[in-house]
Amino acid sequence: MRHPLRALVLGVALALTPGCASLQLGETRIENPISAARTLDQRAYALLNAYAAVIEEATDIVRDPAATLAFKRALGQAERVATPAAETLQIAVTSYVSARADFEAASGASQPALERAATALTIAAQRLSQAIEAARAPISELEDLVRARRA
Amino acid sequence: MLNLIVQLQMLLAALSVFLPLVPEENRVRAAEIIDAVAKALAASGAIGANLDDLAAKLAAIRAEVEAMAAAGRAVSAEELENAMTRVRSASAAFRAALETAEAGAR
Repeated sequence: MRHPLRALVLGVALALTPGCASLQLGETRIENPISAARTLDQRAYALLNAYAAVIEEATDIVRDPAATLAFKRALGQAERVATPAAETLQIAVTSYVSARADFEAASGASQPALERAATALTIAAQRLSQAIEAARAPISELEDLVRARRA
Repeated sequence: MLNLIVQLQMLLAALSVFLPLVPEENRVRAAEIIDAVAKALAASGAIGANLDDLAAKLAAIRAEVEAMAAAGRAVSAEELENAMTRVRSASAAFRAALETAEAGAR
């Protein structure tokens, strides 16, 4: 009995990732941390932490003896796709932070050095943006799985 | 929500004390009803607990990100590493739990 309820909670969290700032469920308000971000690095940081919280919840489902093995395996399959996407996101955001630091350090440097740093930062920002979008896809897949379970 | 559920569970426990006063022919049926309601309340409690747990985590993350955004502060490399460590740790725990579940099913 506990399993589908936890799945509901997981589904709600996943549904919130790209969406609204918060959702009211009974007396509990589910917040969407990603929508609070103003910059790319903040967005990536919020997404990584929110994903960690969702996986922690998924772990509770998997530990629930009432949950079916088939559903646990389906969660496992979704996690195996989503976690590498989160790892890619972490690499992209780390590169972006590094490129931004280089750009700030180059502010007093020569024009060619500044242009190189600006180009590197632009590329890093584009890659980070792509990584954020790519990480959302496997999360949506997991969301669909949970919704199907609820139906 | 959890408080309300706990209060209802306590009320149910109090009502069950009066079961012996119910006529014998209806006692089993009354006990079944109380049992069914107790199970429903326990399930509701599970919803609330899980919801509250995840909601609290997401709210804490949102509050942190809101503070960052309000201050116009960039995320540090250390904060990113900590976030990824949390993901890796959660993923490892998840996979270990899944392995245990698979082993238990064999």
